[in-house]
Amino acid sequence: MLQYDRGRIGERSAPVINHVDNSEVRKFSETLGESADIYRDEDSARRAGYGGLVALPTFSVCLQRNPPPGLVMPKAGVIHGEQEFWYGAPICAGDRIAVTTWLDDVRVREGSRGVMTILTIGAEGQHANGDLAFRSRSVFFVGEGVT
Amino acid sequence: MWKAGETLGPFALPITRELLVRYAGASGDYNPIHYDDDYARSLGLPGVIAHGMLIMGLAVGAIRQTAPLGSRLEQYGVRFRAVVEPNQTLQVWGSIASVEPYDGDWRAVIDVRVLGSGEAPAVTGRAVLAWTFGEGQNDRVVQ
Repeated sequence: MLQYDRGRIGERSAPVINHVDNSEVRKFSETLGESADIYRDEDSARRAGYGGLVALPTFSVCLQRNPPPGLVMPKAGVIHGEQEFWYGAPICAGDRIAVTTWLDDVRVREGSRGVMTILTIGAEGQHANGDLAFRSRSVFFVGEGVT
Repeated sequence: MWKAGETLGPFALPITRELLVRYAGASGDYNPIHYDDDYARSLGLPGVIAHGMLIMGLAVGAIRQTAPLGSRLEQYGVRFRAVVEPNQTLQVWGSIASVEPYDGDWRAVIDVRVLGSGEAPAVTGRAVLAWTFGEGQNDRVVQ
């Protein structure tokens, strides 16, 4: 049974401070086949005015975080349905990004294939100076019988 | 410069098993549905499937290749509509919904579609890019 506490919707997790590592940023860019220099070459990124190698827009999935308060995410059987990001100041290698998460919404839908729980989870990454790095919204579908 | 109504692409995205394994390593997402066929089938999937976030990242990378110089991604959201199996080449299409001046910048809204082997798109979404007025001037055309 999926465990969640509606009373804790909106409550923020304790932040996890991520030290963004140069080789992780580069490996992510190389894996996605990115060719632009600012994502692959530190000198080019600095010449373009960035503090270090620039991370790709979906790199934030690599950042560690605590689970949203009030939710125990099942280990398997979760379907990622939607993902949305709002971007602030770019994340660069060498940055310290504090990531928090929260349970944004829980809906239960009964359909022909049983009960489906729709979880919306929010996350936010903040630079050390307080500037927003990103905010995200993720929607997950959890079927009946998923534990 | 981009113009409303213009089509971007198609851009080819070859999805291989090797890419799935490499993305697992690069992203830290070691969910076995992305590398273990038996495990994936035990959950009712046809076999291993691609990480949704991999497709999301590749799609915006393709669109960005055609973006005006100095543009930055402000917002990007997608819906994962169908599972994506490896050993196929996806097609990314962009459609420029609008290009408008905004607060001294230009801002463009792009509808994104990723097509696989099925009839319906595997991923659909929307990206908002902005660039500063005056940047990317060389390729700017008066509308």
